[in-house]
Amino acid sequence: MTNMAEDLKAEAPFAGEGLAPAPEDRRRTQRDSPRERKKRTSDAVIYGVLVVLVAALMVPFIWMVSSSLKENNQVLTVPIQWIPTEFVWSNYTDIWTRIPMMGYLQNSLYLAVIITCLQVLTGSLAAYGFSKVRFPGRDVLFLAYIGTIAVPWQAYMVPQYIMMQNLGLTNSFNALILLQAFGAFGVFLMRQYYMTIPDELCEAARIDGLSEYGIWARVILPLSKPALASLALLTFVNTWNDYMGPFIYLTSNRLWTVQLGLRSFVGQFDAEYAMIMTGSVISVIPILVIFLVGQRYFIQGIATSGMKG
Amino acid sequence: MKRTTLAAIALAVTAGLGLTGCAGAAGPAEPQSQDGKTRLTVSVWNYEGTPEFKALFDGYEAANPDVDIEPVDILADDYPQKVTTMLAGGDTTDVLTMKNVIDYARYANNGQLQEINGVVDTVGKDDLAGLDAFDIDGKYYAAPYRQDFWLLYYNKELLKAAGVEEPKDLTWDEYTALAQKLTTEAGGKKVYGTYHHIWRSVVQAIAAAQNGGDQISGEYGFFEDQYNTTLELQKSGATLDFGTAKSQKTSYRTMFETGQAAMMPMGTWYIAGVLQAKKDGKTDVDWGLAPLPQKDSNGKVSTFGSPTAFAVNKNAAHSEEARKFIEWAAGEEGAKAISKIGVVPALQNDAVTDTYFQLEGLPTDELSKKAFSPDETALEMPVSDKSAATDKILNQEHDLIMVGERSVADGITEMGKRVKSEVLGQ
Amino acid sequence: MTTETLPPVAPAPAPAHSRGNRKQARRNTLIGWTFILPNFLGFLAFTLIPVTAAFALSFMEWTSFTAPRWVGLENFQRMFQSDTFWVALRNTVVYALGHVPLTMALALVLALLLNRKLKGIGFFRVAIFFPYITSLVAVAVVWNMLFSPDNGPINQFLNVIGIAETPGWTSSSDWAMPAVIITSVWRDMGYYMILYLAGLQAIPTELYEAAEVDGASPWQRFWNVTIPSLRPTTFFVVVMLTVSSFKVFDLIVVMTNGGPGRATTVLSQLIYQEGIGEGKFGYSSAISLVLFVIVLTVTVLQFKIQQRRER
Repeated sequence: MTNMAEDLKAEAPFAGEGLAPAPEDRRRTQRDSPRERKKRTSDAVIYGVLVVLVAALMVPFIWMVSSSLKENNQVLTVPIQWIPTEFVWSNYTDIWTRIPMMGYLQNSLYLAVIITCLQVLTGSLAAYGFSKVRFPGRDVLFLAYIGTIAVPWQAYMVPQYIMMQNLGLTNSFNALILLQAFGAFGVFLMRQYYMTIPDELCEAARIDGLSEYGIWARVILPLSKPALASLALLTFVNTWNDYMGPFIYLTSNRLWTVQLGLRSFVGQFDAEYAMIMTGSVISVIPILVIFLVGQRYFIQGIATSGMKG
Repeated sequence: MKRTTLAAIALAVTAGLGLTGCAGAAGPAEPQSQDGKTRLTVSVWNYEGTPEFKALFDGYEAANPDVDIEPVDILADDYPQKVTTMLAGGDTTDVLTMKNVIDYARYANNGQLQEINGVVDTVGKDDLAGLDAFDIDGKYYAAPYRQDFWLLYYNKELLKAAGVEEPKDLTWDEYTALAQKLTTEAGGKKVYGTYHHIWRSVVQAIAAAQNGGDQISGEYGFFEDQYNTTLELQKSGATLDFGTAKSQKTSYRTMFETGQAAMMPMGTWYIAGVLQAKKDGKTDVDWGLAPLPQKDSNGKVSTFGSPTAFAVNKNAAHSEEARKFIEWAAGEEGAKAISKIGVVPALQNDAVTDTYFQLEGLPTDELSKKAFSPDETALEMPVSDKSAATDKILNQEHDLIMVGERSVADGITEMGKRVKSEVLGQ
Repeated sequence: MTTETLPPVAPAPAPAHSRGNRKQARRNTLIGWTFILPNFLGFLAFTLIPVTAAFALSFMEWTSFTAPRWVGLENFQRMFQSDTFWVALRNTVVYALGHVPLTMALALVLALLLNRKLKGIGFFRVAIFFPYITSLVAVAVVWNMLFSPDNGPINQFLNVIGIAETPGWTSSSDWAMPAVIITSVWRDMGYYMILYLAGLQAIPTELYEAAEVDGASPWQRFWNVTIPSLRPTTFFVVVMLTVSSFKVFDLIVVMTNGGPGRATTVLSQLIYQEGIGEGKFGYSSAISLVLFVIVLTVTVLQFKIQQRRER
């Protein structure tokens, strides 16, 4: 799907002159035009802005890392101590034995992967129905979907729990998977993205004799990689970081997720914040991996390239 | 590219599945009850971090080889919420641990617990501290096994440095003066004379206990002196200011264990914590205990406390065994078992107190021992169906007085007004 | 000029009139439902039914231990008379009014800034997402330190630029909400940036090329191409932001726990405390029903506006 020509096309400017050429491109135009020079200046400005921004965004994270390297009674000091007086690296080895961290990570991963896959699959299917097929009652049904997002889970978690209990599903991963995989979030996100894909594309495919399912699979899905990537990413992160859902539904310790495991350092009257921060740093790593993989799909132009074809 | 994506997803799924299967990966599968043993389930919070549970269960299992106790481990933070949800779903956990008396009132009044008057009678009504809190029209639906009450922790070194031997028989005025005297700042390190944690009980429950006030009455004049004392301490810089403590989530353990506070009113649960920290070499604080400062200097010590109790679930799978367990846990055997790890049992008799003071690392001076037998221990918050709602209002108004947005008088008036209109329906 | 180059977004098959078309319509319905069904079944069973049950509870009294008892509108009466409900409603609305536009604007700016090929762009994108994955406790502690009234960096900065009367932020009833809003915007903008970033990918580059050929300035291109093409994404972002603002819970609990006093108490906290906290499930359901109606109204309005624009 991608080739050099499209990559270059992807560089069509937008919203300003700040769009930088790809590295190869830059090499080719080394004896640069004034325009080229201007671009490089603006690149520098953008880097400057980004670096400052990133610094501002990372401060709490830095505190988290610093706290993870302290003794517990050194974490919440007044005033804040940014650099530990003594680096307690052993926190990072202790946590694996203090709690079954590896097992918790596996449980979290299992849930997050399954839920993300189901959410992306069923969400993108339903979204096609809501955006590209017209039938009576469609919009009302869609509003019902959105409407339920507005109800805080705290309001219906007890009725839901009773229902699950009667189905014999509590204290199992299945309960959480069933609850979270069919949420309205994915449907809504994908529908909105499909709305930006011109209907002419589907029309053309219909004329070519493709069925609706064929259009979904062969035309729409390949075009919606950025949206699929962001849906997958956000679903993964939300599932990974979810606390209340697993807390209510997973009773046996062997089913616990990372977030529950970390909360087990909170006691009745105090908490082991050093351990909590250590665990939080560890639990961010999988998210980073997923993010770095997923963000590659946010490349302008891929989505609609080949649209004229 | 499409193929690689799909392959990557497929790989991830299989990896995820392969790693965990459906059974959960964090530990072995649930132990099946072994040949003929009764499997008794007990709801607990933070099993790893609350050693009293393990002490009780191991002790009981040793005494009753035919019973296998399985803790239902719930996070401490939202323990009551989870228990409520589980019970709503018809859960059959046998023994429910009552984290506080407000939840107890709710469960008991709604018929979720079995009456256990028999158990209470066997253990001995007179020896169980805090039992009154569980009396609902002459019926007991839970038996306390643990009773925490408040006293004054102090740092012996810091007091000695200031030329004070020990904080003996203090009134609140003497305490304030002492705290101000102990406040120092040297080399950029500030030492506070005392540390008052942000909980409203530090002011309100103390005031109620020492003035005989009722915290759900809607009349809060009796808070006034205690608020003035606390605010004066704060204004003179003898304690960390409330706004900072709250927003920085200041840990009282840090304040005391790093020598940043010379004194600290706190509950007896912290004894086990500070003992452990010293044992692990995480602090070298030389600490002692004293009775809570008092309103008058008549030598009588009033403090407040809150019991923790075991109850039998209405839907319990093993009601009889559950009762037997509670009888043991609240009785002398159970009391000794938790005394050994520094937890204060509800059952108070000489044998139990002796066991307690054999604990290694516990300060053995006379004052510390005296701190251990207050003349009167009031309940932290009265038990009623109005307690939870009142508690919320008192908390909110406490905030406003402590950050200085409301004067003490205005705050007290507002508390009364809100409790009367929102809770008591007057 | 650029408006003509926009793709017509309205769905293609026209409403049915003739008999042949009616058959077509029935086929469409069938096809549409087959797409929707896998998700809808799960959604119906595990979300829609419990939600409906919860709404039914708002007309009952239920402690979760005994059978519910019908009380009609009693819960609503109590709610409308409760001072705390109105305080929480007001706080929630204020929060939403601050949080929604600010987050949206910043998320869009960030997405535009990061929607380019630069060396290390992946790193910057991840970095901007960091606040969202940083532990909430860390966020609360550090931001509260920044907001510290006496010696916090923010107030020191305000002093330097000549503001003598610095706000008390989280220790003051008037400034606690702004402090919470600032923190939540900071935390959420990376999340919505991801959505905008995905939305930007869908804009056909041809549109920009055409606009450039027409001699449109960068600003015009942004205004006439980017903004209209992003409309579906914007709709999504606005609705999700509104919904999440009205449901805000975690951040407030960790940062101020609704205080000082009731200055930052919001509706979902009330729902949680009254419901599972105190066992008044009927009352808490009534509050959530009100919350639902408010958010749904906002959403339907947005939906109608969007549909009109699409035509």
